[in-house]
Amino acid sequence: MTTRKKILGSHVKRLLSGVSDHGRRHLSEVETDLVQTTLLLEEAVEKLTSSFMAIHHVVDSRQEAINRLLAGQAPTAEESACLTGMSGEIAGHVNAAVTSMQFQDMTSQLLDRTLRRVTGLRDFLTTLSEHGDGILPESDGDEIVERLGKVSMALAIQSLELRSMLRKSVEQRHLESGDVELF
Amino acid sequence: MAKTILAVDDSSSLRQMVAFSLKAAGYQVVEAVDGQDGLEKAKLQTVDLVLTDQNMPKMDGLTLIKSLRGLPGYQKTPILMLTTESSEDMKTKGRAAGANGWLVKPFDPQRLIEVVKKVIG
Repeated sequence: MTTRKKILGSHVKRLLSGVSDHGRRHLSEVETDLVQTTLLLEEAVEKLTSSFMAIHHVVDSRQEAINRLLAGQAPTAEESACLTGMSGEIAGHVNAAVTSMQFQDMTSQLLDRTLRRVTGLRDFLTTLSEHGDGILPESDGDEIVERLGKVSMALAIQSLELRSMLRKSVEQRHLESGDVELF
Repeated sequence: MAKTILAVDDSSSLRQMVAFSLKAAGYQVVEAVDGQDGLEKAKLQTVDLVLTDQNMPKMDGLTLIKSLRGLPGYQKTPILMLTTESSEDMKTKGRAAGANGWLVKPFDPQRLIEVVKKVIG
């Protein structure tokens, strides 16, 4: 095999391996982010449904107590205590719902990251195609090697830019209230 | 007179949750959609506490804190970060920028109010 062919082969190998590594790395991240988004959404729906049902139950009970009062029945001591406690009970369920509703903030950050990653991958493939268009059937080996070198470099830069732009800011996998630290 | 809190977050639902929780505890809340908006609103009126997100368009939370600390009247105003970020590295950066505390999302309204009461009464 001539030296020229070896050089060409090495450039092709580097390009293919670069494209593959880049694609796999970003798609793995997309997969992780989508799984995390699914977990958060499932938990949010479960917790919000539970809060909704609990609030509905307390409101129903309170209405029944009000109806009895309106019908002229005097409340027992137990019923009075129960009515007083209902506001606190509702507040507790509302607080739980407020915590769960924050899924939107987290999942939108994860989806935005996924979207930017997908857009970055599309740009990456566009760069590959644009450089590939410059390689003609009649191009000689040196010209092809030069073009392959350029496309590898362009893709490496794009890959770095995409990685630096996509630092992960959401690590939460559950909708539990987070840590508090006062400095 | 009710104390005023500036809540800065690009997520409208999160701002609503924060405002709902704090107003229920008797605080006045001024909302801002990002760091730049927060800075403008802080210049228009002095607030008792700033609660800010980190990752926002136009201006992030750390830049907002540094800018606020450069304003007259905001050198000692308590500033709390309320963010999804939970890394020690980010907390260190927040502390260096002038934050007084770090709350990781999602927040529990009761806990948020306890912290706010502890900081500004």
